[in-house]
Formats: sequence, C-alpha cells, structure tokens
Amino acid sequence: MSTDVHTLSGAYALDALDPREARDFEQHLAECAVCRAEVAELQEAASLMGAAEAAPPSSALRDRLLEAVDRTPQVPPLSAPPAAVGADAPATAVSLDAARRARRPRVRLFAAAAAVAVAAVGGIVVTDAMRTDQPTLAAGVTQVFRAADAQEATVATANGGRVSVAMSAGEGRMAVDTSRLPALGSRQVYQLWTLTDAGPVSAAVLEDAATGAAMDLPAAGTRIAITIEPVGGSEQPTTQPIVVVDPADV
Amino acid sequence: MSAGPGLRLVPAADGPGDIDGLLIRVARGDRTAFEELYDALSSAVYGLSRRVVRDPARAEDVTQEVFLEVWRKASRFDAARGKAKTWVMTIAHRRAVDAVRRAEAQRRQDHHGAPDEVSFDEPADHLIRTEEHGAVRDCLDSLTDLQLESVRLAYFNGYTYGEVATLLDKPLPTIKTRMRDGLIRLRDCLEGAR
Repeated sequence: MSTDVHTLSGAYALDALDPREARDFEQHLAECAVCRAEVAELQEAASLMGAAEAAPPSSALRDRLLEAVDRTPQVPPLSAPPAAVGADAPATAVSLDAARRARRPRVRLFAAAAAVAVAAVGGIVVTDAMRTDQPTLAAGVTQVFRAADAQEATVATANGGRVSVAMSAGEGRMAVDTSRLPALGSRQVYQLWTLTDAGPVSAAVLEDAATGAAMDLPAAGTRIAITIEPVGGSEQPTTQPIVVVDPADV
Repeated sequence: MSAGPGLRLVPAADGPGDIDGLLIRVARGDRTAFEELYDALSSAVYGLSRRVVRDPARAEDVTQEVFLEVWRKASRFDAARGKAKTWVMTIAHRRAVDAVRRAEAQRRQDHHGAPDEVSFDEPADHLIRTEEHGAVRDCLDSLTDLQLESVRLAYFNGYTYGEVATLLDKPLPTIKTRMRDGLIRLRDCLEGAR
C-alpha cells in the first residue's frame, strides 16, 4: 500500500481523511520518517492558510477562558518520548500510541548499578508508613513493571533513596519508579533526563514522585539521569544527577 | 530600560521562536505565558474556527476548547517536531472540523436534510491584514484551480477528500494528489516569499 498511502499526506494535513483512514495513516507515519517530515511541512503551510483568516474574538471570550483555565489541571509530560530529536523524531501528527508501536528495540538493562554515582547527601526519606495512603504508581508505570518480559533493576541514589527502572521490549516502554526517593521541599522537584552525546534532554518533570514516570524505550546509547530542580523543572540540569542509569543494548 | 511601577512590559510575541518559548512556559503552568500565548494566537484560532464553523458563537466555543486543550496538553508539545504555532493551529483546525461534522450529522438526524441555518457575518471587514497574510493569498493564486478548490473545500469547509471528489466530480486519486501537490506548491511559494 506504500505508494498509495504516501499520497495521503496532503489530505491528512487538511484533516480530510475519515477517522479510520487517519488512524491507518498515522500508523504509516510512525514508520516513515520522510512522510512525517512532509506532513509537518504541509501542516505548517495549511496552518498559515488558516492564520490568514485571523479575526479577533470578543474580549468576553478571553475572560471566560482564563476563568476556565484556573479550573483545569494540566497533563503531566509522562509520555514524552525521550531524546526524539533529528531524523527519527515523529511528526506532530503521530499519536504517541502509533509511535510507541513502531519503536520496539530490544533493550537490556545492563550494569545499571555500576553507572550510579554515589555521594553522601542528606535527605528525609519518606517511610513506607507515610506512603500507604498515597496514590501509588501511575498505571502506565506499573504496566511496564508487570510486563511479562520486563527487565528490572533497582539502584541507590546519591541522596539516599532508591530508584527502580523497568524496560519492556514488548510494551516498547521504559518506566521509572521514583516512589522511594526522599521527599523534596515544596520548591523542588525531581526531573528525569535522557543523556546522549547531544547532551541532556528533559524526559519528565516529576511533580509527584510517588507516581513515577513512563516513556518510550530510549534509543541505544541513551542513559537516564535524575536531578533535583526548582519547581516547574529546568531547561537543562542545574544540579549533579542523583543517579545515572545506563540501559545498554547487548 | 526600566518600566515604571504602573507599567507592564508586554513582549511582542510575533516570531515563531517567541511562540515556542511561550508554549514551553505554559507547559510548566505559567499562566502569564498562557495569557501572552492567547493574545498572540487567539485571532488566528478564532478566525480559522469562524471560517470553518461559520457561526461566531460556535467559533468562540471552538476557540475556548482549543486553548483549554493547549493549556492541558502543553507538555506534549515537542519543539523538535514542528513549530508551536503550527501545533496550536492544527489543534484548532481539527476541533473546528469536528464541530462542523458533528453539527452536520446532527442536522441530518434532526431535519432529514433540511438546509443548515447559520448566522454568518461577513468576515472580510474584520480580517486582520498583514504582510504574511498577503503572501498566503498571493501564493494561493499560484495554485491551479483544481488544487485550490480541493485544498479550500477540505480545509475551510471541513469536507473529506471523498466528499470533495464527489463535489468536484473527479476521481478520488486525483483529489488526493491535488491536495498534496497543492499544499506542496503553497509551502514552496511561502518559503520563497520569506
């Protein structure tokens, strides 16, 4: 279906496919970097055509919207694909599910403990007793830990906590259990990074460490780091990692 | 340069980089950034919505939905995948088209095909004209008639390419191809105009 499917990029960028065709095309997009790049460019051209219709809405709408925003929680960046920069980056239109299905490299957790930098840092550890009533790991996280083919490792962190990492090639996902990290003050959060030669890229800001985080399996050669950052997270790490995990492909 | 006590410096968020930066701040819960993002893009979103759904009140509802989605899902924006403005406008177009298709399905159910009634104020006098928009119009003129009709019927009327093929009485593959090469020509022309 390749040549036929490829010509759908224009109709897709115009939202002119029926829902089933759009889903099929998104699956194709997940496997076709050239198509993703083309769709991104065609969507930009279409959006400029749309923007040329600009007309101001009523000022009442602004007030209504801002009031609604105050009542609306934001979606956490749990599913942010790690370090998806460059030719492999999915286009805007690729659904996370489609992208996930397409990327299932065989990854094996390897010598994770050896990569952990240890330093003595004080911190208050949240006891199990304190945590029992708290909501536990997010469903997406436990799903990876429970996967039949999950490979798991638990490592100590420099600030006296423990982090478990699980990878499932079958799920195409990696999950990090951060629930046993020391609690931070109200002005700090844990932030998860993917490390490549290109430098660190934020993978998730853990507003609530008890829920952990899940993401697509990182590319080979990518390491995972956790730092302590000001609330809201940072563009780049501002502190030394409390842990670095190296999932190496064997 | 210092702003007086009663003054607030309002950054002119007109470049794509500014919009990207605003959206990244919105993802971190920055409400001020969200207001700036709204002020920068609300006309584009509302104008497109009104063009697609026709009815000003419904267009405002769509605009509100779009910006709430932008607020909620800002963390899912990835600058490596495209511009923030394109991301917002893509959400806007999907929402507007969904609204039109839902209304059309409802109308068919309720009135068994009676003509749709919309209050449609002529947008031309409210249109915000800028150089960039002029370039879009010029570039649309460079499309062939069939390319232009295919692209416009899909984008502004919310028709599927099958519906466009029926309306224009052309084979499906032709319409698919015209949508694609029409957008490619528009893209190339706009790149040249920059």
